[in-house]
Amino acid sequence: MSVIKVEDLYKIYKVGESKVRALNGVSFTIEKGEFCAIVGTSGSGKSTLLNMLAGLEKPTKGEIVIAGEHMETKNENELVKFRREHIGFIFQSFNLLPAMNAIENVAMPLTFQGMSKEKRIKKAEEVLELVGLSKHKNHKPTQMSGGQQQRVGIARALVVQPEIIFADEPTGNLDSKTSAEVMSLIKKIIREKNQTLVMVTHDDHLASFADRIFRISDGKIVSIENGSEANAASVPDSAES
Amino acid sequence: MKFRDMLRMSGSSLWKRKVRTILTVLGVVIGTASIVVMISLGLGLSRASMAEIEQYGGITTITVSEQGSYYGDYDDSESSAQASQEHLDDEVVEQILQIEHVKDAYPLLETEALITCGGFQTYGSIRGVAPEKMEGLGIKLGQGQFPEENAGQLQAVYGNMIIGDFYNEKTGEGYWYSGEMPDIDLMTDTIMFIFDIDAYYNFLWGGTSEDGTAVQMPKKRIVQTAGVMEGGVEDYSSNSYYVYCDIDELKKILKKEFKNKAIPGQPTTASGKSYKEIYYTTIQVNVDDMDHVQEVQSAINSMGYQASSNAEWVESMQGQYTYIQLALGGIGAVSLIVAAIGIANTMMMSIYERTKEIGIMKVLGCDMRNIQGMFLLEAGYIGFIGGTVGLALSYGLSAIINMIVKSLELGMNMSFGISYIPLWLALVSIIFAIFVGMAAGFFPSLRAMKLSPLAAIRNE
Repeated sequence: MSVIKVEDLYKIYKVGESKVRALNGVSFTIEKGEFCAIVGTSGSGKSTLLNMLAGLEKPTKGEIVIAGEHMETKNENELVKFRREHIGFIFQSFNLLPAMNAIENVAMPLTFQGMSKEKRIKKAEEVLELVGLSKHKNHKPTQMSGGQQQRVGIARALVVQPEIIFADEPTGNLDSKTSAEVMSLIKKIIREKNQTLVMVTHDDHLASFADRIFRISDGKIVSIENGSEANAASVPDSAES
Repeated sequence: MKFRDMLRMSGSSLWKRKVRTILTVLGVVIGTASIVVMISLGLGLSRASMAEIEQYGGITTITVSEQGSYYGDYDDSESSAQASQEHLDDEVVEQILQIEHVKDAYPLLETEALITCGGFQTYGSIRGVAPEKMEGLGIKLGQGQFPEENAGQLQAVYGNMIIGDFYNEKTGEGYWYSGEMPDIDLMTDTIMFIFDIDAYYNFLWGGTSEDGTAVQMPKKRIVQTAGVMEGGVEDYSSNSYYVYCDIDELKKILKKEFKNKAIPGQPTTASGKSYKEIYYTTIQVNVDDMDHVQEVQSAINSMGYQASSNAEWVESMQGQYTYIQLALGGIGAVSLIVAAIGIANTMMMSIYERTKEIGIMKVLGCDMRNIQGMFLLEAGYIGFIGGTVGLALSYGLSAIINMIVKSLELGMNMSFGISYIPLWLALVSIIFAIFVGMAAGFFPSLRAMKLSPLAAIRNE
């Protein structure tokens, strides 16, 4: 069952008189439980694609169906609601709120869902244990290393038990050793929970953790290949530019 | 998102920026305090003047008199139209008591007498009233008691200011002239009343009556003192200048005294004589509440009598004080407007600073309304804290102002103090401060709500 279906997607920015095609006709599908990497250089349109999948930007043309719902027809309020219920997000610069400690940061999306304090703290503790940060649950972001902060970020994305997790250069601010640790952790968890992960990166090595790699250049998908650790979950083809 | 969580998040983000929060709150404190203190001055003034009116016969009292008598209003155009004389008698009293909201009615018979006592004399306004009604008229005794009923003679209760009006028969000096109290004791000294004052002066100047015979010295009547009202010679109240006595005894004496003559203050027939019956001069009507005074007054007017009260005076006075309060409040409001701009500025700054934070929240699925709500709450908090502290400051300032005014002894009736903060003002000021805060935070909060979530994922 495809959890993400993109059909003929265009995003055109007007810069003065000229038009910039950030996305120029993109179509693909992603199956449930798949780990996909979108790889491209800076300006290739990979971030724009991710933003549109997450409902942060509106496409100029085309269809995006996530978990059976059309994203391009939703208004901003509906998109926020959709993200709250179905999507987890991992940021490059972690984006933890500095005033809150680890457990409060993790519990924040549950607050937005209106969960009671007791319940959400309990859930957050569970997820923090999953990412191996039980000892640091009362630490503020400034008291943690980059790797630890990103693990809090991962816990925050997981805590709502989303169907899809989007990650935008999740290891971009980490050194290579920590990057590898964090990537293994992410992969391990989504495998355990059979969650779908879409990751944007410019790093080929990082992309090799994925089941499938979408290479994007000048707003078009130029190739779809299996990752070096590819396994049976991957389903090739189904995307042409 | 739960309201409690929103409160907590807004509170903690204010707490994070303590110095800025305190400075913004300070503006609201000053704004609230200036409005509250200004209005409290207006309220204090109006309360002091209401207390003064209370002394001048109260605000719920209506005085009823006959058409065309010197009591009441003169401008009644209907009074001349209804020339038929309606006199005040017990039937009228009954009718008035039937009117809704009338608590009680006090028929009064008024006349004048020359009062002499141990070489001093004065003109006294005599009021006859049923002894059992005296307490209801607000007469408070300092010495003695009220006149007995059916005493068989006149017994008088003196107003506390009357003693100051006695002057020396020879020198003409009295308390108000020399500052010396006349050496008499109204309770124990022999006091005599001369009711026929005209005859007295005619006698003094050797006048003659119509038939040519010399005028006789009118009778001096010894009047027993029943009591003297409470209060010093300078404590004014609506009763302090009157001599009260039993109305039935007074009627008897007037009838005897003015045989075949017109009784002063009484209506006369076409031939200039008094009627057989002695009518009441006025009826004082007590109304249950100030708001009903006008209503009762016009009811009595439509019965064909003149009714007057302090209501119009009070109303125009209250109108004036409303203007004063508005003007004072307006002056205070200027500083609250400045404070509101301060709040708006703080909120805008906060939003610029927190663009990323807001973006993160939106990406993580925080409802737009919740985001707006949190910023509104923050602004409301500033208003609430500022309003509360400002109110506390106002109570302090108010106490200080009252202390200073008291020490200056301006001579006005300042027993309450010039600045007065009633409970409603306290509550309204806090609610108003919260409202101003939220109003100032409204547009910033709208802006926060509309911020793009993309700011969160821009990697700087």
